[in-house]
Amino acid sequence: MSERRDYFPETIRDKLIHDPRVAEQDLRVEVVESRVVLGGNVATSEIQAMISTVARELLPGYQILNETTVVPATEPEGEEPVA
Amino acid sequence: MIRIAAVGDLHYGVGSPSILRPSLEHLPDRADLLVLAGDLTRCGGTDEIKILAGDLRQLRIPVIAVLGNHDYQADKEDEVRKVLEDAGTRVLEGEATTVQINGTRVGVAGTKGFGGGFRGAHGTDFGEPEMKAFVGHTKKLATGLEHALRGLDVDFKIALLHYSPIEATLEGERLEIYPFLGSYLLAEAIDNAGADIVFHGHAHHGSEKGRTPAGIPVRNVAQPVIRHAYNVYTLGTGEGILTAEEARAIRA
Repeated sequence: MSERRDYFPETIRDKLIHDPRVAEQDLRVEVVESRVVLGGNVATSEIQAMISTVARELLPGYQILNETTVVPATEPEGEEPVA
Repeated sequence: MIRIAAVGDLHYGVGSPSILRPSLEHLPDRADLLVLAGDLTRCGGTDEIKILAGDLRQLRIPVIAVLGNHDYQADKEDEVRKVLEDAGTRVLEGEATTVQINGTRVGVAGTKGFGGGFRGAHGTDFGEPEMKAFVGHTKKLATGLEHALRGLDVDFKIALLHYSPIEATLEGERLEIYPFLGSYLLAEAIDNAGADIVFHGHAHHGSEKGRTPAGIPVRNVAQPVIRHAYNVYTLGTGEGILTAEEARAIRA
């Protein structure tokens, strides 16, 4: 993996998207010194945890800060008339 | 009154809990029909879609779906479709289907749709073969959608897509990726053929509500947007319909 600073976050994002354990296109990636900060929405806490696991595999030596948010999936309260 | 439950971008994966399953028990009491707006799997695997099919098989209401881009990732879209259809879900691509609900005929025409951009900033099928293929794919699917909608003879028409037909439901997404999130050609097809409501997904950071240039309501039901297991929309109440003057104002 190229570690050229200008493109490193996008390289990480591309690797995460193509890992079938993640396959999440909504991730934001920032690299600050030896820290990699991951953001965005994810569907479940299991995927959230998997993202940390895969990121640690991809980026040994970096501290992974997983700041992704799990989107709620509760039943809706009402209805919307549309027609 | 017809109650439509709608959601897209469920992204079922192996080893990940089902988003829909906890809500399945009450769903038939809340809605007469469930529509799924694509990206049903994470990577388009048959092992993934089988989990969703297992959930849907339990439902006592009709389920109609389109596939999304994630459902094509493993190049097994035909198998994905077959697994769903074997479980009783009707999958649409340039096709339509009709269901009878309490004596009312509801037609759903569906397509995955594709990108290209929006009025004044749409790609053209000109130049390299890749560009012709990109825009040509959208044109083909939009034409199929219009044909499917025109063929419906029903009380209510629903257009079901994965990609967005309008910009309004993309608000919140980065402007640079709009051409990869939808195409005005889909809206043009819907406005030409007519529909009562349009559902789409794909734009996780977008907005829920918008209208086509002719005033047809559009709802982005991507799960990260609606932040519920599904949303319920009703047809036949007479609410939400634009007056001729309001429709003209939108077109202007």
